[in-house]
Amino acid sequence: MKALRALALLPLLATFGMLLVHQSVQAHAPAAAPPSGQEPWSTSQTLPSKSTEPSASSPTWSHDIAPVLYKNCTTCHHPGGAGPFSLLTYADARRRAPQILDATQSRFMPPWLPEPGYGDFAEVRRLSDDDRALLKRWIDAGAPEGDLKSAPHAPHYDATWQLGKPDLVLETAQPFTLPAAGTDVFRNLILPNPLKETRYVRALEILPTPAGVVHHANLLIDRTGSLRGHHPADWQSGIPGMELLMDAGNRFDPDSHFLFWKPDTRALVEPDGMPWRLDPGNDLVLNIHMKPSGKQETVTAKVALYFTPDPPTHLPMLLQLDADDKLNIPPGDSNFVVEDSLTLPVDVEALGVYPHAHYLGRDMQGWAILPGGEKKWLVWIKDWDINRQSVYSYREPLLLPAGTVLHMKYTFDNSAENPHNPHLPPVLVRAGNRSDDEMSHLWLQVLPVNTAPNPPDPRLLLEEAWMRNRLAKSPDDEVSLYNLAAALSGQGKFAAAAALYEQELKLEPNSARTLTALGAALEGAGQLDKAENRYRSAIAAASPADSSGCDARFDLAQLSLRRNDFPTAENESRALLSTCPEDAESRSALGAALLGEGKIEDATHEFHRALELDAKTFAALYNLGAMAADAGQPDQAVTLLEAAVSGLPASPDAHEKLAVAYAQSGRLPDALAQLRIAARLAPSDAQTHFSLSQVLDAQGQSEEAFAELKQALQLDPQNADGWNNLGALLARGGQIEAARAAYQRALAIQPDHAQARANLARLPAAQH
Amino acid sequence: LVQVSKTVPRRLLLALPLISALLAVGSEAQATKSAVFGTDPHGHPISTLAGPGARVVVLFFAASDCPIANRYVPEISRLTKEFAANPPGTGDVRFWWVYPNPGDTAQVVAGHNRDYAITADTILDPRQSLVHLAHATVTPEVAVFLVEGRELHEVYHGRIDDRYISLGQERPHAEHHELEAAIVAALAGKPVPQPGGPPVGCSIVFLQK
Repeated sequence: MKALRALALLPLLATFGMLLVHQSVQAHAPAAAPPSGQEPWSTSQTLPSKSTEPSASSPTWSHDIAPVLYKNCTTCHHPGGAGPFSLLTYADARRRAPQILDATQSRFMPPWLPEPGYGDFAEVRRLSDDDRALLKRWIDAGAPEGDLKSAPHAPHYDATWQLGKPDLVLETAQPFTLPAAGTDVFRNLILPNPLKETRYVRALEILPTPAGVVHHANLLIDRTGSLRGHHPADWQSGIPGMELLMDAGNRFDPDSHFLFWKPDTRALVEPDGMPWRLDPGNDLVLNIHMKPSGKQETVTAKVALYFTPDPPTHLPMLLQLDADDKLNIPPGDSNFVVEDSLTLPVDVEALGVYPHAHYLGRDMQGWAILPGGEKKWLVWIKDWDINRQSVYSYREPLLLPAGTVLHMKYTFDNSAENPHNPHLPPVLVRAGNRSDDEMSHLWLQVLPVNTAPNPPDPRLLLEEAWMRNRLAKSPDDEVSLYNLAAALSGQGKFAAAAALYEQELKLEPNSARTLTALGAALEGAGQLDKAENRYRSAIAAASPADSSGCDARFDLAQLSLRRNDFPTAENESRALLSTCPEDAESRSALGAALLGEGKIEDATHEFHRALELDAKTFAALYNLGAMAADAGQPDQAVTLLEAAVSGLPASPDAHEKLAVAYAQSGRLPDALAQLRIAARLAPSDAQTHFSLSQVLDAQGQSEEAFAELKQALQLDPQNADGWNNLGALLARGGQIEAARAAYQRALAIQPDHAQARANLARLPAAQH
Repeated sequence: LVQVSKTVPRRLLLALPLISALLAVGSEAQATKSAVFGTDPHGHPISTLAGPGARVVVLFFAASDCPIANRYVPEISRLTKEFAANPPGTGDVRFWWVYPNPGDTAQVVAGHNRDYAITADTILDPRQSLVHLAHATVTPEVAVFLVEGRELHEVYHGRIDDRYISLGQERPHAEHHELEAAIVAALAGKPVPQPGGPPVGCSIVFLQK
């Protein structure tokens, strides 16, 4: 059986992904002028006098109108709701009848921007023509009440949580003071989470207080707390800005969900199998768009989270088309068009779309051309209004096979006639982060389907295609270079990744994070000296004041372990623990170094400390388990290694070690099952096949044992034990000469192999 | 009686009873104690709109439950301050917040004024006599009157500025501060510029007959 391996089996810690989180946040939106020949609608109409006798056929509130309002309006328009007034009662409806008429006939309300027929969406808010006509006839008839007894029951709106008691409620650290007057306000409120272990979020609700001043909100996940880290002194009061750049951390887990909130969709429930992950240390960032109400408001928000124990089985991803590089909109131009396209490298289903621009956007089209040439509309908005922006989910997932080309085409109006133009007279407008800059974004949530059974993760291919597209538009975009390199690294294309990191370093020469990532790519490519050099450069470039050098220190310690340079690994681990926040993986790296140096007791201590910090630390579980197995404590070994296997099922070594522990406990069928998994994960590992042959032989499956042994010896022909075992199998099968040759081979490799010598002596003499 | 039309500014006498929403021009004897312009939020009758020395009277029609009207509170407060006099009520311009809707009772209005920090003079107009006087239709809407002897001469009514073009059509900020320009012109004795678009907001709840 395999010797204890001190090397911690951690995946390479490549600094993975700097995700642009654009979910921008805006203010108003342009709305087109009323069609010519039609009066601009004002609210100055008055109700006809109530004395007007409704004709027999007139609609009444009780019979006709209440159902329409309850279905379409009162979700927001109820007491305490997000709408500015209630429409629950007859008196309410009559009071607001002129506005109801204006707002519905102009389609200002209910808010719904997509043009019907261009994308088949769920939860369509657009009012039907019949309902609009009904409302008009009712108001024209004097808004009669009808027989109250026949009216439907008013819906009940709970002021607290729609989905029941939340599993966790996060609250803004400090109230935000919204001034009484002025333009719209965009703010990022940071909500740290108190979790001690990873949870999966299947639903969330956002409850801003007071209702009504928050127009919409995006919830962003800051995987590394980077936003808070950049604003250590004042993050509690919220951070201004619309587009945030966050550090996505070291794990490829691209943003996957639209966590978009608007007043009529308080609860956001994810489809089955698609919860999103929330780790300890992740911050939620509530990016909110507020409208001053006329009085100073104290704004707070609560976010309710609902967990599921099951990790996601489906991993969607957000893709973005944009033409921000082309936004250079001349003043006075009322018809400035930009386009972008992106070819899909894998089959996906589109689940939802989020079109976004600022004040000058007017017409926004998204569509897909399938490989056969068929055109499928993703969305068409003819009269963009940032105030009514939304995410739109497709009623049925939209299959887009590999080779499909996604397109976006946006038209901007920078003339003085655009009422939303923030500049009069108009000025040249480019892409940017402020509300009076522009954006041209089309976000699409896609779920890879028909996925090939083996890696790479299709999301890496999507990320690669997306970043290549961005680089084609802006070759010096640092984020794209970095993310493309990370996507290639994730696919094992380390040399290409390293070249891109080098390119990025020319733009940002002393970036500790890029130097670290470059080191990891070089390490992946087998250039260990160079890798070490880059890690050391990263440590030198990092500011001592923050943790930017910690990843490099960690990777350097891991690299030393990998090279079996245990004294260096110990030194680097100790440096890591003294300069960076203590974490379980750093502790177990030190444990692995000590183990390599033969300091078993010290190593055991460090592994236990690591498990105190995080009971699921793989390297600690694995190494402690392996040590227990070697010390002949199979029960303890089984417990530890089962935990290791369940934490990292992709590790063949953990399965193999667990098989050893099972075998020691006499559980041969369990051992066999683990070895078969290990062989599937690492088919060219000779040791696994040696072990398989032993267990199979012990179970009397000689033929299979023989086949496994031959395969093992093909992979590792210099293994004396293997040849000796082969000889024994052959001798038992009566193949004496073949057995003799096998024993002699073992002795040729290892002349003092006592067992082979004894076995050879026991064979009948050769027949000549 | 003074005939009023949309094209001819109305004339009316100060401090005289309103009868059935029409303005009576009468003798001194008719114009005295009884409250004719509604009451303040404490129930005290308002019998005169123009104080001593006032040359311009501005009525701001408001509603406690109208979001657009509420969003204009800071703007009206700004203008009130800009044309403020010391002591209050003695300056060239007299501002009044007018609450014409039946639901805006004294208690509701007092609470609303407290919430929005409205300290200016306030009238409850439950009979909507001022609505008819000014031909107001929505909140927010304003009317500007020149004080000419014992008469009020309406020189402007409509929107405050051009921020709202229609429901759902809103500029990031106003480009033309039309009410402010109207007050300045009225004080200067110049022709008063008229609003460039209709008022946008919530219909005034008209009394049922």
